[in-house]
Amino acid sequence: MSAPETNITPTAPAPTRSTAAIYDLGYKRYVGNRVAASARWRVIMRNQLSTAWKGWWRLKFPLGTALMISLVAGAVMYVSSNKLFNAIASKGMGLKFSDGIVPFSMTFFARAGFIFSLTVGASVIASDAQSGGFTFYFARPVRPIDYVLGKFAGLLLATSLIMMAGPLFLAAERLGLAETTSELIDLLPVLGKAAIAGLAGALLYAALPLGFSALANKRRTALALWAGAYLIAGSICSGIGLLTNTPLGALDPPTAITSLTFHLFDVEWKGRSAMVPMPYAIGAILMYVVIGLGLAWWRVNNSRSTGVGGAP
Amino acid sequence: MALEPIIVVDNVRRHFGAIKALQGVTAEISGKIIGLLGPNGAGKSTLLKCLLGLVPFEGRATVLGMSAATDGAAIRVRVGYMPEQDLLLPNMSAVELCAYAAELSGLPRSEAVQRAHAALYYAGLEEKRYQPVDTYSTGQKQRVKLAQALVHDPEILFLDEPTNGLDPKARAEMLELISEMPGRRGCAIVLSTHLLGDVERVCDQAVIMHRGAVKFSGTVAELRQTRGGDSEYTVSVRDNAHDFAAALTQAGLANEVTSPVALRVTVDPAIGPRQLFALAAAAGAQLRSVEVQRDTVEAAFLRIIGAANDDATAQANQAKAGAA
Repeated sequence: MSAPETNITPTAPAPTRSTAAIYDLGYKRYVGNRVAASARWRVIMRNQLSTAWKGWWRLKFPLGTALMISLVAGAVMYVSSNKLFNAIASKGMGLKFSDGIVPFSMTFFARAGFIFSLTVGASVIASDAQSGGFTFYFARPVRPIDYVLGKFAGLLLATSLIMMAGPLFLAAERLGLAETTSELIDLLPVLGKAAIAGLAGALLYAALPLGFSALANKRRTALALWAGAYLIAGSICSGIGLLTNTPLGALDPPTAITSLTFHLFDVEWKGRSAMVPMPYAIGAILMYVVIGLGLAWWRVNNSRSTGVGGAP
Repeated sequence: MALEPIIVVDNVRRHFGAIKALQGVTAEISGKIIGLLGPNGAGKSTLLKCLLGLVPFEGRATVLGMSAATDGAAIRVRVGYMPEQDLLLPNMSAVELCAYAAELSGLPRSEAVQRAHAALYYAGLEEKRYQPVDTYSTGQKQRVKLAQALVHDPEILFLDEPTNGLDPKARAEMLELISEMPGRRGCAIVLSTHLLGDVERVCDQAVIMHRGAVKFSGTVAELRQTRGGDSEYTVSVRDNAHDFAAALTQAGLANEVTSPVALRVTVDPAIGPRQLFALAAAAGAQLRSVEVQRDTVEAAFLRIIGAANDDATAQANQAKAGAA
């Protein structure tokens, strides 16, 4: 039907298409199957990893640090593979320098893990609280358990790359440097020990910062809390433990990790930090993992039940 | 034909400590675009959160036939929510955010990405969708919030103050999007707002909340005539409204001349405008138009809220007198 003719001269310009114009793009309602609710945590984990990978400072920098540690330690191990580590041997260890590199490197991997906790781990939940992320998640069919599990799994995978891949690489190199088959067979447990030490470190450096990130509504506050607890409270515990010869040093996360590693590799270390007995080291690591996950769970569940993402 | 209610709330109560956010909300809500009206603190956002199963409450509430108390997750699969406050995750582009939102709602990865693009096109962010959401303007953020709410194909969209902070142009565009959505996407919309102009422009149904209770529920047309029958008319005459006013006064009808050719008249609602025509014929006045005088949504809203305030004051005085 044609429009009726008029003799009115238009005084205004013809209406242009607004930016709110509708683009249909063949829209059809989605009728396919939906992924089971129990798989939501994997989506969150993948997103945690992909956002951590963005930019140079979040995951790439600590990962690069871990890579550098691995390469330097690997080079040292290669060069000194046939020489005795006199410093340790003089303390009755009778240990090859190259054998000591794997456990000793864990102190450096722990530092890389701490860097990652500062760039990502200790701000995960606080960032979501600050940006309204809780509303984003819980306005969908996402349960608190999916959220905590997904975030933790993402952090654990990233931290494992930093704290487990390096020791495993060094352990593999040590196997490669074995001079005889029997030595190679004797050294095989090194792989398992490196994996256990790396996994323990990854668990600790994923769970505890996640828990600290649940303690604040602002990213910077959470980071400050974590850094303060790690650097100051941890050092105080370690120092008191060293001075009083008590296992209090186990409360210092790097001391707990290095103690566990040295015990696994039968290394007796008398350095600046205290070395605590194995049960205390394991106990402290487990306690920190439980505390970290518990704090995260408490915060997320509490925020959800009181009205997510803002004033109720 | 009466529309089937998409939301039913029956005596829903929710309090935060001493603050009673919802005090026995009861309503059956149907329609395509439903305006949830109320002043700040009326309980609109809390009601939406209850309906999404996000906060526990007393009473009974169903959305699309599902209980908000027990089937919250199932409701959130079929309902989209655009909250008032920010919910944009940092370090993500709009398309990543929307795809992530769709995946969290259960869509497979490839479908989620496709629909994220489509939703952003729909919201008018086609050229900006790869930029980080942190860099967006307020209007663009509102559009992303809308896109993430509809990316998983919801049957109902809860929009909480969607035009907040927008300039007039962006506001008009947002309202245009909202008004076209039921037709284009086949979803109903619950528009929570305190901007009455928004409701007047796009809504067909209205629910007015005040102090945690529903004060009105019905169509916008009903809201505008809640005075009780059509008794007030605006009458245009060819000339000399004063002469016709005198005839009306003589017949006992209250009136007010508003211009030389227009006047406002109150008639007996049982008789209606027929009385006006008869009087005009007798007085020799030529009527140009007779229009029912109805409230704007704003006037109706203020009257309902005002009446609620008066009731509350009267109850408080009564209680005080009883105590004395």
